[in-house]
Amino acid sequence: MRHLSLKYITLVVAMCASALLSLSIGPRQDVFLSDLLSAFATDELSINQSIIFDLRLPRTFVAILVGANLGLAGMILQAITRNPLASPSILGINQGAALGMTLGLVFPSIILLNLDFMAILGALIAGALTFSFANSAKNGFNSLRLILAGIAVGAFSYAMVRFTFILDDDLAREVIGWTSGNISASNWQDVKPLIVWTLLGIISSYLLAHKFNLLALGEAASQGLGANPKLIQFMGAVIAATLTAITVAVAGPVMFIGLVIPHFCRRFFGQDHRLLLPATMLAGALLMSLADIVAKLINFPYETPTGIICALIGAPYFLYQSLTVKGAKL
Amino acid sequence: MSIKKYLTSAVALAMVGMASLVNAGEITHELGVTNVPDAPKRIIVLEFSFIDALASVGVSPVGIADDKKRDRVIPAYTDVIGNEWVSVGTRKTPSLEIMASLNPDLIIADKTRHSAVYEALSEIAPTIVLDSLSGNYPESVEQMSIIGKAIGKSEQMEARVAAHKATMKDYIAQMKNTGNYVAQFGVTNKTGLFLHSPVSYNGSLLELFGFKSNMVKTNGDTYDENYVETSLEQLSVVNPDILILGKYADPAHTDSWAEEPLFKQLTAVKNGNVYNITAHNWSRLRGMLAAELTAADLLEIMKKVK
Repeated sequence: MRHLSLKYITLVVAMCASALLSLSIGPRQDVFLSDLLSAFATDELSINQSIIFDLRLPRTFVAILVGANLGLAGMILQAITRNPLASPSILGINQGAALGMTLGLVFPSIILLNLDFMAILGALIAGALTFSFANSAKNGFNSLRLILAGIAVGAFSYAMVRFTFILDDDLAREVIGWTSGNISASNWQDVKPLIVWTLLGIISSYLLAHKFNLLALGEAASQGLGANPKLIQFMGAVIAATLTAITVAVAGPVMFIGLVIPHFCRRFFGQDHRLLLPATMLAGALLMSLADIVAKLINFPYETPTGIICALIGAPYFLYQSLTVKGAKL
Repeated sequence: MSIKKYLTSAVALAMVGMASLVNAGEITHELGVTNVPDAPKRIIVLEFSFIDALASVGVSPVGIADDKKRDRVIPAYTDVIGNEWVSVGTRKTPSLEIMASLNPDLIIADKTRHSAVYEALSEIAPTIVLDSLSGNYPESVEQMSIIGKAIGKSEQMEARVAAHKATMKDYIAQMKNTGNYVAQFGVTNKTGLFLHSPVSYNGSLLELFGFKSNMVKTNGDTYDENYVETSLEQLSVVNPDILILGKYADPAHTDSWAEEPLFKQLTAVKNGNVYNITAHNWSRLRGMLAAELTAADLLEIMKKVK
C-alpha cells in the first residue's frame, strides 16, 4: 500500500508542477508566479496579478478539469463495455457532443437551455445510438459491434460538423472556434459549471466503482454477485457521456485522453476501479496540462489548439502500448 | 498566282484578323496567362473587390458570389451595377452549375479561395485569378488595372485609378500626426477577436495613412498570418493607441472583456480611443471605393482621437 501511495504522490506532484509551469507561460513575459501568490494577499489586483489570476489561472483549471473528466469517462466506458478500445471519441460521444453544439449554432432557434445542454444532448443521443446498435435482440451485447457502431456514429456526426465549414465564413469560423479544442479564451465562468459537473461525476462513479469491478468478472458472474449489469452499464454510460459533453462545451472535442489514460493507469495501479478512479483523473489532468504548455509554446506567442497537441502526444503512446503489451486483447 | 490562291490567302488573312479581334487580350494573372475575349459582356465575379473594379467603370456582372445574401453588395455598388445579377452561391464554395448556366465569357476568381477549382472554372469560361482575400491594398489597386485590361476598359480604369490615388492622397493630407499613433484593426465575432496583421489588406491601409503597428510583421500571406486570433493577454502585448473594431456579433467576444481589469488598462480603452466601424465594409470589401470608405471612417476617427 505504501508503494501505491507513492505512485499517487508522484502523479499529484507531476500534475501540480506542470500546472505551475503552464501558469508561468504566456505572451506577457513580465508576469511571474510570484504575482499569483501576491494576488491572494491584496484586495485590488495589479495588472500582472490580474493576468495570472483572471486569465491564466482559469485556463489552467479548465485544462486540469477537462483532462480529469476525459480520463474518468474513458475508464468508465472501458469498464462497462469490458473493451479496451472504448473511449469517448471511439464510441462517437465526443463527436455527438460537437454535433449538438454545431446544430445549436447553425439553427439558434432549436437551442434548448444553452449550448452546454445541447452538447450533453448530442453526447447522450450519440451514446444511445452506439449502444443500441451494439445490442441486438438475438445475440445480445457485442463488443466488436460496439466499436464499429461507435466509429460509424462518430464519423457521421463529425461529417455533419465539417459540413458547416463550407457554409458562410462567419458561421464556419464560429463552429471551428467552438469545436477545435482551444481553451485559450477560458474564464472563471467556464470553470464554475465544470467544477460542479466534475464533483457529480466523481461521487457517482465512486459509488459505482465497486460495481465496475464486479462487471469485470463478466455479466453472468456479476449478476450472481448481486449486481444488475444492465443498470450499471446504463448509469455508467450516462455519466461518461455527460462528463465528455461538458468538456466538449468548454474545450471542443479532445481526442485520445479517454483512450490512453485508462491503459496507462492500469499499468501502474492495477485493475481495481476504486484505485483507478483517482489515478485516471490525475493522469488525465497531467496530460492535458502538459498539452496546454506545448500548445502555448509551439507557435509562440500564438496559440495552437490544445486538442491537436493531445492527439500528438496520445496517439504515439497508444501505438507503443498496443505494440508492447503482452497478450493484448486488441 | 491563281485567283484561287489569292482568295485562299485573303480568307486566311481575314480569319487571322477576326481571331485577333475576338481574342484581343492575353491577361497575365496569379495562375498563368489566359486568353480573354475582347470585350466580355457576361462576367462572373467571385470576390467583393472585383465588384468594386467593375462598378468603378460602370460594368454590371451577370453573376456574383454574394454569399447568398444580396445585401452584402452595398448600395454604393448597386447604384452603379443595378440589381440584376444572379447569385452563384458563397465566395467559399460558388456553384459551378449555376455559373455554367449563365454562359459567362469571363470569370474573375480569388487565389486563396478558388485556385483548387481553377481548371473547372476555366472549362466554363476564360478565368483570371487574382489575390483578393490575402492581398494587401497596393496589390488590390494593381488588380484594378488587370481587370480593366481584361474587360477591355483599360483607359477608363486608369483614369479611375488616377482619380482614386488623388482622393487617397487628399485623405492622407487631411490626417495629420498619424505617425504618433499605433493603430490596430480587428474583427470580433461571438467566439474570438481576429486582428488584421500589418501584411493584411487593412494593415497595409493603416500603414499607408502613416499609422504605426505593434504586431510582428510576417513575410507570409497565409490566412492565419493575415487574420490572427488574439486573446486578451496577447492584445495587451500589442496594446495599440487606437483600437478599431468591427463587430460581427452582438454581444461580441470583446464585449465580454469590458469588466476585465486588463482590458480597462489598455491604452486605447483608458484614453477612450476604441472605435466601432462597419465590419462588412472594412473586412470583406476591398478595392477603390471600399478603400475610400475606410479612409472616410479613419478621418472621422482622427477627428475624435483624444
